[in-house]
Amino acid sequence: MRTLLKNGRIIDPSQDLDIVGHLIIEDSQVAEYGPDVNVDDVDETYDCTGMWITPGLVDPHVHLREPGQQHKETIVSGTQAAAAGGFTTICCMPNTSPPLDNPALVDYILDKSASPEAGGVFVAPVGALTVDMAGAQLTDLYALKRAGIVAASDEGFPIQNSSMMQQAMEFCVQLDLPVMTHCEDTSLTKGASMNEGAVSAMLGLKGMPRSAEEIAVMRNCLLSLHTNCQLHIMRVSTWGAVEMIRQAKYLGAPVTCEICPMHFTFTEESVGEFDTLYKITPPLRTQLDIDIVLQALNDGTIDCISSDHSPHASHEVEVPFEDAPFGHAGLESTVGVTLTMLTHKGILSPLETIRKLSTKPAQILRLEAGTLKPGETPVAQVTVIDPECQWTFDRHKTFSKSKNSPFHGMTLRGKTMLTFCGGEIYRDAFYADERYSINE
Amino acid sequence: MPRNLLGIRHLSADDIQELLSTSADFKLRIIEDKPVPDLSKQVVGMLFFENSTRTRVSFEQAAHYLKMKTANFAAGSSSMSKGETLKDTILTLRYERLNGLVMRHRMSGSTSLAARYFGGPVLNAGDGQHEHPTQALGDALTILERKGSLNGLSVSIVGDVEHSRVARSNAWLLSKLGAEVRFVGPRTLMPSNMQHLPGLVHYDLRSGIEGADVIICLRLQKERMSEGVLSSIGEYASMYQVNRESLRWANRDCLVMHPGPINRGVEVDDVAADGDRSVITAQIENGIFVRMASLYWVFTSDPKPAPPPTLTKSAAKPKESKAKKTAVGAKKK
Repeated sequence: MRTLLKNGRIIDPSQDLDIVGHLIIEDSQVAEYGPDVNVDDVDETYDCTGMWITPGLVDPHVHLREPGQQHKETIVSGTQAAAAGGFTTICCMPNTSPPLDNPALVDYILDKSASPEAGGVFVAPVGALTVDMAGAQLTDLYALKRAGIVAASDEGFPIQNSSMMQQAMEFCVQLDLPVMTHCEDTSLTKGASMNEGAVSAMLGLKGMPRSAEEIAVMRNCLLSLHTNCQLHIMRVSTWGAVEMIRQAKYLGAPVTCEICPMHFTFTEESVGEFDTLYKITPPLRTQLDIDIVLQALNDGTIDCISSDHSPHASHEVEVPFEDAPFGHAGLESTVGVTLTMLTHKGILSPLETIRKLSTKPAQILRLEAGTLKPGETPVAQVTVIDPECQWTFDRHKTFSKSKNSPFHGMTLRGKTMLTFCGGEIYRDAFYADERYSINE
Repeated sequence: MPRNLLGIRHLSADDIQELLSTSADFKLRIIEDKPVPDLSKQVVGMLFFENSTRTRVSFEQAAHYLKMKTANFAAGSSSMSKGETLKDTILTLRYERLNGLVMRHRMSGSTSLAARYFGGPVLNAGDGQHEHPTQALGDALTILERKGSLNGLSVSIVGDVEHSRVARSNAWLLSKLGAEVRFVGPRTLMPSNMQHLPGLVHYDLRSGIEGADVIICLRLQKERMSEGVLSSIGEYASMYQVNRESLRWANRDCLVMHPGPINRGVEVDDVAADGDRSVITAQIENGIFVRMASLYWVFTSDPKPAPPPTLTKSAAKPKESKAKKTAVGAKKK
């Protein structure tokens, strides 16, 4: 079986490649690509004129909610949403119920994600750092790693005790396991639900001060510097956090970080009249933060973009603001929002956009993904994006079980058209039928 | 869309003037035993999820004068304690055919949520630390009766501003009608960013009430001590108490107000609370008339009322359609 992706703009940040040409997938592997490949003798042809052909996208931060919270999302629906979003490898977070703190659960997730009903993407589990994510006792990280986790994290319940965090990092250095962490000093955010600022003061909501995030970023960066533990900071939102990460990198700490589209799109003002769709942690900040964040995306201080896909059922979101859970469903809007807010505004070049959505997160978590080089991934992982497709994001037309998206109704420019992981796993309704042909 | 009273922030100066003049009119009629409008066809639900004596009794009185029926709802014994969500409780009351709701809840913004799912008008009787609009209306009426106008008056709001819905509603109302508002209190009880709230911040009592025409004292909740934001009640009192000595800094005819319940000896002393400048009892009484006016205002709104508080553009539409869908489904049952 020879599949031709014809006449697209081939963007592969892993080799700094940005050329117009064709790409051949043969026997589930990328066979060759370039302007001069043999386009005869193919079995099927996808016309990619005007589109980007990129390595399958990699999302370092997804909540699949299974086991235990299947009313929000399942591994099946979540992986289907990932495929529709253009992601071929996603990292799932351990804050399930029970938390992902033992190897049997890792097996369960890997089995489920490989089942035929699932979306066909690779799922790379992130294990809990401490038992029950309670911050008291380390999990059996060696067994978890052998079961297949790619990193360890206590996600939304970050370890508060610095000594405990240091121990965890030391242990992970030994196991050569990256630590991912959400940065929050929870003693400063008790009962808080949005950014501490002008809007929280007006609405009478308890605010999360920026120092709550920055203290934790600084502590974790210092622990990483001194233990030499590879640290990936999830979701930065303040200019101060960005500057500290910049400094830590300068000092040589093995630190990377990510941002989710909400944090470069919205500010605290978006909360409006207590709109729970804009409740996220760390919270939406101010325009000044966005300005610095955009610079940091441009200069590479912020390494990658994650969807921070946090699905929640409607009944959990339609509650008073302080009762609402944090986060939004993001897998299917991330490409559109990133291209609209960053690429088309000149913040990121197409090559850098794809680096942040694919190659870099794969490198950080050492995943076999994020490249088009033949043989470097288990099967061909290729995403085709139409950067000019204008569409309106409709949360009711998504694969995700949850509809808690603040991007609903937004007009976006840029959309995933095709996703290949081995074979085709997703074809978008916007991708015209005439563009596809089977050669007899 | 029915007319709601969710907060002063959402009202125009004209709306506020209308409410206040209606209140004054109702007060005169009640005192002179003249007829007031008859709203006896309306049943209003009294939803007090949080304890309240004065506001609840005041709304009951207001409804009584307007011959309205009230349906009481005790949060403790309701299905809320069985795990029902606020949304479902509100939808239930909607299909119990209540015409309106008076609601108090400990969470900021909860009355906006209720208004989204309840078909008729919703009146906010205090939502968390957000707003308490009828308290502000009563306070404004009390000031107006004594000063004639709010325009150009200097009003100081003293105390725990951060946790006070009364402070927020009063600041909006007074500033919309031309008064100059000062917020006075310790840094630990003042929001760190007051950019969106109308008023100047003073951390020192003297500069905060110097030349004031009105001082609104706020209640200091005792649990603030355990949160570590204040060292002791004694220290707070010595720095921020409105009393015989500190009142000298204000104007000679300065009014002393307090939304109650009062912690005597903490935020005010007896001289300030009971002296001839105190209008605290008048505030309580006027509360009834402004609540009458509020009920009248929401229940007799013309068919094209003022737009409701703005929802964020992307979220507004689907939410409405969702509520509608539920409504159709429920009717079929």
